[in-house]
Amino acid sequence: MFGFISWLEATGFSTTLRNTTWLWPTCESIHFLGLTMLIGAAGFFDLRLMGFMRRVPIAAAKAFMPYGIAGFALNLMTGTLFFVMRPSMYAFSAAWWAKVFFIVLAGFNAMLFETTLGARVLTLGPGENTPTSFKIVGCVSLLSWFAVLYFGRMLPYIGTGN
Amino acid sequence: MLQRLQDSAFCMWVVGSDSLWAYPTILTLHTAGLAIIVGAAFVIDLRMLGVGAEVPLPLMRTVFRFFWAGFIINLASGVVLFAVDAVHKAKQPVFFVKLALIAAAIVVTARIRRRGFTPRDAAPSAAIRPLAIASLTLWAGAIVAGRLMAYL
Repeated sequence: MFGFISWLEATGFSTTLRNTTWLWPTCESIHFLGLTMLIGAAGFFDLRLMGFMRRVPIAAAKAFMPYGIAGFALNLMTGTLFFVMRPSMYAFSAAWWAKVFFIVLAGFNAMLFETTLGARVLTLGPGENTPTSFKIVGCVSLLSWFAVLYFGRMLPYIGTGN
Repeated sequence: MLQRLQDSAFCMWVVGSDSLWAYPTILTLHTAGLAIIVGAAFVIDLRMLGVGAEVPLPLMRTVFRFFWAGFIINLASGVVLFAVDAVHKAKQPVFFVKLALIAAAIVVTARIRRRGFTPRDAAPSAAIRPLAIASLTLWAGAIVAGRLMAYL
């Protein structure tokens, strides 16, 4: 892996991006906007899955999710750019790996929900409590996204090796 | 006076301590609070713009609780983040731009809360749309200004 990281960091692509003035702060700003979109939309849906705001029809709570996914897409793009610009800073950071772990966990959790439980969403009317499986999925999702935020913000402070 | 604030024992601990519970945690709380505040404003504004029209308005209104909870987190963490770097931040124009954008965003959000949820059972009136767009723009501006405080 060390070879790949130092190769990537030395490529003209990485160097050019890294030396582009204002690219880093611009990506950071977009990354922060994307995270609010994701946490706003996913948080609303997760809370409903957990059994809060029961009078909201669960399918309606899901209507915000495309905007949350758009926020995630923005953050995946800007996050990839961060990694390309400074691969060694991230690849050797324990906080970054923890962040990636929670992104993957949230992803699998969402996929599990969509493929196995999601169909039951439409059968739940307004006012109905959610089954325990929904509560677990919602809770895992909400905690995972805040863990992603935590380890992202803590990147300069945790597990940098210095 | 700002210098004395910045040199207070508490501020010296926040920036001087190696503990993750000092500066890093306060900074992370500020980011988590931002996600809650603007995340809540985001879904409320989307609802005003017609997304999630099946969500009953009185229930949508409960989202304001998260908005204000996040606001309290960020007011508290923001005061500390200012205090530990008071002399520098008091001279940063972008800091005052951020404060102005937040003030304007709160005025707009409060107006949405007053006007966007009556009558209770109908869709929000079309007149609320410009407010929702203003809210989204102002909150986004506040976030960008906040991020740029590290650079300008």
